[in-house]
Amino acid sequence: MHHLKLIGAFFKVSSQAELAYRVNFFIRLLHSGLNLLTGVLSLVVIFNQVEVIKGWDMPAALALLGVYLLLGALRGLFIGPSLESVAGMDGEIWTGTYDFTLLRPVDQQFLISFRHWRIFALVDLSMAIGVLVYALVLLGAQLTIGMVLSFLLTLLAGVTLLYAALLAFSALVFWNPGFLFTWVINDLFQLARYPVGLYPGWLRLVLTWIIPVGLMTTIPAQALVGTLSPWMMLLTLAFTLAAFLGATWLFRHGLKKYTSASS
Amino acid sequence: MNQRGGWALIKNTWQSWIQHRGFFFLLAFGWMLPLLVYLFIWSAAAGDGTIAGLTQESLAGYYLILILTNQLTYATTNWTVGDNIRYGQISRWLLQPMSPIYHALSQEIAGKVVFMLFSIPITGLLALIIRPQLNLTWGQALIFLPSIALAWALRFFWGYWLALLAFWVTRADSLLALQDSLIFLLGGHLAPIALLPPGLQTLARLLPFRYMSAFPVEVLTGQLGVQETLIGLSIQLGWTVLAIVLYRWVWTRGIRRYEAVGG
Repeated sequence: MHHLKLIGAFFKVSSQAELAYRVNFFIRLLHSGLNLLTGVLSLVVIFNQVEVIKGWDMPAALALLGVYLLLGALRGLFIGPSLESVAGMDGEIWTGTYDFTLLRPVDQQFLISFRHWRIFALVDLSMAIGVLVYALVLLGAQLTIGMVLSFLLTLLAGVTLLYAALLAFSALVFWNPGFLFTWVINDLFQLARYPVGLYPGWLRLVLTWIIPVGLMTTIPAQALVGTLSPWMMLLTLAFTLAAFLGATWLFRHGLKKYTSASS
Repeated sequence: MNQRGGWALIKNTWQSWIQHRGFFFLLAFGWMLPLLVYLFIWSAAAGDGTIAGLTQESLAGYYLILILTNQLTYATTNWTVGDNIRYGQISRWLLQPMSPIYHALSQEIAGKVVFMLFSIPITGLLALIIRPQLNLTWGQALIFLPSIALAWALRFFWGYWLALLAFWVTRADSLLALQDSLIFLLGGHLAPIALLPPGLQTLARLLPFRYMSAFPVEVLTGQLGVQETLIGLSIQLGWTVLAIVLYRWVWTRGIRRYEAVGG
């Protein structure tokens, strides 16, 4: 409860700061619109040439794009800005202002994960939901309660995996403060735009089990389309739990290496 | 124009950027990834057959060359022009006995050297893994040189005149994001121009964006006949001249309007 109240306060403060710059809203709208447009047009161009690629047709790929946009929106809403402020460019670990963050009387991992919010990312969020709904309409009436539940469960796993990956890459900054590890994972996340099965074998393995950006979007989309086996779902959930615990461990372990930045 | 001062500036910038190469390698990595995604997607779509006359191997060749030319022509500096005008940095440059465009040019050249230090080895490595098919002839290579030079000039001056609109509006850099999206869609990134639907293909052939990135690659990989090449080169030259005229025009108007406070 206390934590929820804190999140509410963080959200309010961040939003007030951001809403002071109205023009940015329209700029954001332009960027979100371009992102949506290029995403959808890409699928139109691809499926104009071929009807099915390795079992994925247009509605299924659109559902995956929806999941990708949804995860991207959630990353932009709080995970990204919060972790970037610590480990990103001119982040607190690099400048040494992390000292003040450490002094706050609240769990460190909670604080650095939920502190900064970008209210304009709600635009992306609604666009992503729009794409998902449209994909569902295209997929037709084959949807069952079980599929919806497994979709929601795997979507939660996808968000957790994304969070774990970002946290793990942020934690690496404790060992090498000058390098923008969070940018690497942001770049790699672009690979999640398409089903992991479309990539060549070696890359598929890397994107599934080492840097699981493939799992984040492919599994929820498969759940929605109805091609996800229960076995793969269980494996994903177990892997998600392991990734979350691993990233948490890495962050706590890295935290001990922090030695401030000033003289 | 002060040639010697310009050259000293170029050398200076280049040396300072080499020092921070980790950061620039990261940027280059980020630009490479979307192109790699579409390399893999179209390879999967082509399978063992062909798609619009292109095999998996020739698609790989197209995209690997595009990764290199895209980095050669991408005008990173245009993104900072607006900030330099807004924050008044340009005041200092105006006092120096050479045109401020030397600052942009020096960063361009420094950037290309640093980005190539990363991109050439990585692309070479990728070529070993995915084995592209390239039929290079001396004739194609000979036409490639002027077309890549024009592509760079067109992309640089087009972005530069857009960025100079910062003299009038504060967030002109949004137009650069729009330009990037259009290059993605119509400049051969999402798909080689030949794979686009007919309407988009015509647009791509007329608008400047193809001539900023894909055109030299099409020339080098032998996708174009003699007539198409000549028409393409003329259109490219026309757009480049227009871009330079627009740059001169916007610059002379903007500089008259520019005023800085304090120092």
